[in-house]
Amino acid sequence: MDVPAISTEHLSRRFGDLVAVDDMNLRVTAGQFFGFLGPNGAGKSTTIKMLTGLLAPSSGRMEILGLDLTGNPVEVKRQIGVVPEGMALFGRLTGAEYLNFVGRMYGLGRDTAAKRAAELLEFMQLADQPKALIADYSHGMQKKLALAAAVIHGPKILFLDEPFEGVDAIASGTLKSMLNGMIARGATIFLTSHVLEIVERLCSHVAIIYRGKLVAQGSLEELRTGVQAQATQAGTDAATSGGKLTLEEIFLRIVGGTRAAAEQELSWLG
Amino acid sequence: MAGVNSTPEPPAWSVAREQFAAIAQLRWRIFVHSLRTLRGRLEVISWAFVGLAFVGMGIGGSVGLAAAAWFLTSQRQFEWLALVLWGVLLYWQLFPVMATAFAENFDSSNFLRFPIRYSSYFFIRMVYGALEPTTLIGSLWLIGITLGVGIADPSLLPWAALLLLTFGALNILLARMIFAWIERWLARRKTREILGIVFLLFIISVQFIGPVMNRYGNHRGRHSRVAIPGVAMNLVSAEKFTPPGLVGAALGAASEGNPAIALGSWALECGYAAIFLWLLDLRLRAQFRGENLSEAAAPRSAAATAREKTTVREGIALPGFSPPVAAVFEKELRYLSRSGPMLFNLAMPLVVLAIFLLGPAGNAPHPGAFRNGPGFREFAFPIGVAYALLILSNLMYNCFGTEGGGIQFYFVAPVRFRQILLAKNLIHGSLIAFEACLLWVAVCLVFQRPSIGLTLATLAGAVFGALVNFSVGDLFSLYSPKKFDYAVFGRQRASGTTALAVFGVQAVVFGICAATFAATAHFGKLWLATLILLAFAAAAFAGYTILLNRIDRIAINRRESLVTELCRAQ
Repeated sequence: MDVPAISTEHLSRRFGDLVAVDDMNLRVTAGQFFGFLGPNGAGKSTTIKMLTGLLAPSSGRMEILGLDLTGNPVEVKRQIGVVPEGMALFGRLTGAEYLNFVGRMYGLGRDTAAKRAAELLEFMQLADQPKALIADYSHGMQKKLALAAAVIHGPKILFLDEPFEGVDAIASGTLKSMLNGMIARGATIFLTSHVLEIVERLCSHVAIIYRGKLVAQGSLEELRTGVQAQATQAGTDAATSGGKLTLEEIFLRIVGGTRAAAEQELSWLG
Repeated sequence: MAGVNSTPEPPAWSVAREQFAAIAQLRWRIFVHSLRTLRGRLEVISWAFVGLAFVGMGIGGSVGLAAAAWFLTSQRQFEWLALVLWGVLLYWQLFPVMATAFAENFDSSNFLRFPIRYSSYFFIRMVYGALEPTTLIGSLWLIGITLGVGIADPSLLPWAALLLLTFGALNILLARMIFAWIERWLARRKTREILGIVFLLFIISVQFIGPVMNRYGNHRGRHSRVAIPGVAMNLVSAEKFTPPGLVGAALGAASEGNPAIALGSWALECGYAAIFLWLLDLRLRAQFRGENLSEAAAPRSAAATAREKTTVREGIALPGFSPPVAAVFEKELRYLSRSGPMLFNLAMPLVVLAIFLLGPAGNAPHPGAFRNGPGFREFAFPIGVAYALLILSNLMYNCFGTEGGGIQFYFVAPVRFRQILLAKNLIHGSLIAFEACLLWVAVCLVFQRPSIGLTLATLAGAVFGALVNFSVGDLFSLYSPKKFDYAVFGRQRASGTTALAVFGVQAVVFGICAATFAATAHFGKLWLATLILLAFAAAAFAGYTILLNRIDRIAINRRESLVTELCRAQ
């Protein structure tokens, strides 16, 4: 049997009385482009923080590439790349210095780290301002640099928390092709995003978390079939005018939101 | 028009009133919410004590100044009253700058996204600025002076009230104007650092006043006394045209029955206020128009871009240490080299030597302090090294403070915290070694070459002190982190617990070293101090090693609070 890239068993995280992640059993197969979705405050970032070692779970088990994260943190971290919520940048280094530093921290030789840093800066179109400090970068440039840092050591799994937020269309296209290239070479990508169109276009598999609980998990087609089956059982028509359900429609049906609620009018808006 | 509400627009004054009420309510709610945490409640209690001290200072000062004003008015010495007003002005202007010490001030641009008029914005900025202890104290002092003048000569009371009211308004405008411009300079990292260095220079030059006065007062008294009257006379004639001088001149003219001259002086004072108002208005209007004060890099020309291309150099290697240790060491070195104020701080022990030279060491007899031991001057080296250690405690006890969001990287990277802390301690150790070398050379040049015995004992003491500070500092860096920006000065609110720990540890370390030095010097066997302090250093090293072996577990347990504190938005 294939070892899953990511698997959790009864994973929970509590903050006082609040259960941010509740008994989560997640399974991501190696080579999947996996989208992790949920409304605001559902527990997406808490989950990604636990899976990358930034946050300790209250209970449960997490395995990355078959290794227990709690027992083998360093071995696991060597295999993964992360762009966390805060991007984890050191503002008073230049982009080149930062990538060089990250490469060496991931165990690359000095020459390899320097070579890859230069390549990544070119690829991300960040090579034009060699003396600029990261603190002086725009948000989009910082995002690109954080992504470059996450891949410098050639990780087997990439965790991305809102990777396309604040990135311009040109860079976004470059990033998507880079991520697809990684998938083609067998890497696994686990991303959270609020832009459902992007997730629908990129991801082969999706999980939806709602109020801390994993409410759906599978390929897009599986989710679509599941939602349609539920609708048939309930005697409602799940299909839209176009026929096929979009990810946004699937998402809204699963988390209980409706287009009608979104389109509700506010009387004073005229 | 479709989609736009056609409700009649309320009058401007009514909108402004609602906006002011909303802002006041916002501030109140922020205060109330701050009481939810223990830290917030303690903060309020400490502010209550500080507030009481300010009130005491205001009322006490007011009574004192009233007495002074009464005496000077009775003696018709209004030029001296101007001198008193100079004190008030300097306090009013300098204290807020020193107290806030180039911290990130309130970001007024927050209000600019709302549809507020310029007049409302100006008013908000004035009110925000005026509601501070300095205004309260300054106002109380001016009331005291007014009453003092009025009691001494009731006919001068209306004049004093008018002139001092104008003087108070002028001070408020000047303070706001200074802050608005400082805010402008602080908005960019480069200018912020330059301003930080200017501020440090100012603080240092203040420290030199005492020793310089002491030295020149003692040695060149007669010459300086001859020189002073000429300079003073020029200053006095110029002073008449300054705001405090004008108040004194106006009161003098009024007391002599020359209302025209008094009015003229008052008009000049109003002129100063108008200039400050204009400069303030200039700044606030620029802000109101949406001036960009962000840190983002300015757009670059294509030519400039084409010229510069990134070349990535290989990182440095540290023989005997793992690549992550070398990488963190290099990163720390880069951080230090980019912090003007921090580099400046490293030169501070030399400044202390200079103060020492002008002060006690310059005047002390030689040999001195210890019987059978070295002279007072020779102890400049250990004192300088101790001071260097004290200055570096800022870095050692909060060594993740400058990482900001970068702290997350250490938790997601395949490295152990012992490697990270070892690298940070290595850089701190290198700095201490560098400082010790620099100080040794400086002491040789300025005083005399310290004896080999004293040099070795000092170095042994430095190793002992450094190791103790590394151990305690590493623990406090994990248990009590505080976000810190190299570019920002003062009001960085170091954790109170950490400050106490620094004080306690230095007291113990310096106490042990001083006792060892004193005892061995007393018996004329200073070389023994080296052995004793090396024994202490060995014990400290054992403790440090044990701690490093346990630090990974501590860091993992503390990761949430570390990330929360250091990733907090400023």
